[in-house]
Amino acid sequence: MKVEISREKVVSKKNKKTSRLIFEIRKNRFAYALVLPAFIAMLIIHFIPMVQGIYMSFLKLNQFTLNQFLKAPFVGLQNYYTVLFDKSSTLRSGFMDALRNTIIYALSVNILVLVIGMISALLVNRKFKFRGLARTLLLTPWVVPSYVVGMLWGFMWQQDTGIINRILVDWLHILPDKPFWLSGPNTLWAIIIPTVWRSTPFIMIMLLAGLQNIPEDYYEAAEIDGASSVQKFRHITLPLLRPIIAVNLLHGMITHIYSFNIVAMMFGHGAGFPGKWGDLLMTNINRNSFGIWQMGTGAAATIVVMIIVLSIVGIWYRVFREDLVVEE
Amino acid sequence: MKKRVISLLLACLMIFAVAGCSKSQSGKDNDSTPTVSKETEEKESKEPVTLNVWIMPNSGEPEKDFMDVIQPFLEENPNITVVPTVIDWGSAWTKVTTAATSGEAPDVTQLGTTWVAAVASMDALADLTPYYDEFGGAEAFLPATLPTTVIEGSDQRFAVPWFVDSRALYYRKDACEIAGVNPETDFATWDSFKEALKKLNGVEVDGKKMVALGMPGKNDWNVVHNFSWWIWGAGGDFVSDDLKTSTINSPEAFEGVKFYTELAIEGLMSMPSLEKNSAEIEALFNAGEFATIFSGGYFAKTIKDNAVKDPENSIVDKVGVAMIPEGPKGRHVFFGGSTLAVYKTTKHMDEAVKLIQFLTSKEAQIEYSKRHGNLPATKEAYEDPYIDQDPMLSVFKEQAKYGRAYPSIPGWAPSESLLQKGLSNVWDNVMGVNGPYDPERTKIELDAAAADATAVYQAN
Repeated sequence: MKVEISREKVVSKKNKKTSRLIFEIRKNRFAYALVLPAFIAMLIIHFIPMVQGIYMSFLKLNQFTLNQFLKAPFVGLQNYYTVLFDKSSTLRSGFMDALRNTIIYALSVNILVLVIGMISALLVNRKFKFRGLARTLLLTPWVVPSYVVGMLWGFMWQQDTGIINRILVDWLHILPDKPFWLSGPNTLWAIIIPTVWRSTPFIMIMLLAGLQNIPEDYYEAAEIDGASSVQKFRHITLPLLRPIIAVNLLHGMITHIYSFNIVAMMFGHGAGFPGKWGDLLMTNINRNSFGIWQMGTGAAATIVVMIIVLSIVGIWYRVFREDLVVEE
Repeated sequence: MKKRVISLLLACLMIFAVAGCSKSQSGKDNDSTPTVSKETEEKESKEPVTLNVWIMPNSGEPEKDFMDVIQPFLEENPNITVVPTVIDWGSAWTKVTTAATSGEAPDVTQLGTTWVAAVASMDALADLTPYYDEFGGAEAFLPATLPTTVIEGSDQRFAVPWFVDSRALYYRKDACEIAGVNPETDFATWDSFKEALKKLNGVEVDGKKMVALGMPGKNDWNVVHNFSWWIWGAGGDFVSDDLKTSTINSPEAFEGVKFYTELAIEGLMSMPSLEKNSAEIEALFNAGEFATIFSGGYFAKTIKDNAVKDPENSIVDKVGVAMIPEGPKGRHVFFGGSTLAVYKTTKHMDEAVKLIQFLTSKEAQIEYSKRHGNLPATKEAYEDPYIDQDPMLSVFKEQAKYGRAYPSIPGWAPSESLLQKGLSNVWDNVMGVNGPYDPERTKIELDAAAADATAVYQAN
């Protein structure tokens, strides 16, 4: 008897839940209608190609089967085996270099961008003459399209005529001879510095917006308590900027792991091979999928990278969990 | 909690967004049922027909130049409208492939010579063998252009040679005179060429010291091309006879690579130029930095154009052209360039053939050649005074009999980027960025490149 009742209770609870959901949807019908076009667009532009991409990674999709596209022979996990374990696959030669470069590149770009972005945000947050002009000038690198950044710096890094060696060697005499920047281990610098140059303004402006949201009273109160400026930064500014830093850190990590344009364009305007110290995961995968018409293995490699990035997101989420809660 | 979930979802979306972009292929469904219309009926030919043609930016104003050249054709065939689309070389690869797979292809397309076998192997191109008579038969074309119209081992022709990109040696006459080099004889063989470079190195012309040879190294479209005549000249080749194995690491090929790259080690080739691209090297040759460079027929046009634009700084009278030096195993001249092909999906086969027939006529070959600077593909065109009487282009005519193209196999085009990677690493070795130059390391890099390329040939 008791059992019967409780079952009834459950059912009615369920019904209640569904009807509430329907009610909620009805109540917000207009809002849903407004969101719908964007939702459909996202579905078509992002979600469907993504599912296709995942499916492609299980197909033997090369230059001979390309015209069958999604009807190409299904080979299960073979592409993943090729990417991860097959020593003779072209993707594997140079993959470790690309992985190492990407890790160094993404980490150093992120750290440098945050540090420099923070310093410049703090600087332009102070009141001084020509502040508006300074802010505008600091923002300009961000306006330059990334492939143009790649091409421009490609010229600037040239060994004999590039402006960088001219400054370092001819004018400042910091280095004894002109080094090659676009070949050998120096290449890492040659790709990190332009990326930092271009990415900093965005972070700066995000942090600046955050800084302006911090109420003045906090600092005033701290001053009365006799806090030094370092203490104020450590105990007021930094904690209050944490959510912004968190989001930007994630955005930066994802962007720079998937970085392509600057590196691809810097070496012979897209023609050259970036070299053992300049090749990134994306340039490597691009060369080994689109370059040699191995779309199946290329898709598998991208999925592998995606899983790596997802796990980075997981770690990030654990670290910054607290900062993401918006208090209501 | 809800907010947390939302933020996590947002984060995931960001990743998917990027990942989605990086591999999104044209998501069109496959409906490439071949609708070959060889049997297009006679009466249809007078109906208005629109031919979609894809070309690469071959000349200064690609679309206008192309339309100017085909003007007589359009007048003769008022029922045919030609709609050209210029596709960039960088994205052409993807677009040609996508067209092959999606079924939404143009009627006629330009294809790089090295792409024909690959695209034909996708079963995307119409067999043009039955129409060759319309173009004057195979013997109307330079022999070295023909292998690139087939898949090696078959005699079906999937493309028609359109123009030729061939390379020769450009030298400064004034520098040769001062250095005591006789361009007629001293550039003839590898050894005499090297001796000549030694004499030319550091020669002062107009108060400017010249480097003997300037060549782009790794950051360029031409990385593999620029090695080709050295590898062939030493008796090497790129692919084994059974077309299954890369032979870029064979002792002969290694000899060729070594001879060429060590010109830089010996100081005869400019080291800083090795990170520049072809266009920059040509500009520096124009500015008097180098005594010699290897370049294509188009560079003759650049020099002549500069003479019109800026007569005071023109070097047009100071430049001569010599044939590619003869290696220990013969003289082999790089032959690339472009062909014309017809997609299987076309509904206007007859009109497409007509257009190609016109484009391979002597008149159109010369007119177009004048605009893009590359060399014609038909024998007849080489008799035209534009080539025959030109001091620079006539050398290209003379060396055309030594022309040689890469093996026309489906795996070649994909493997080229892998060979380029390996040869780029060879240049790194020469530039000493990973420690002092060591020929052994060149060998190791060639082995690695051969392994990569072989994997592609065998997968195919």
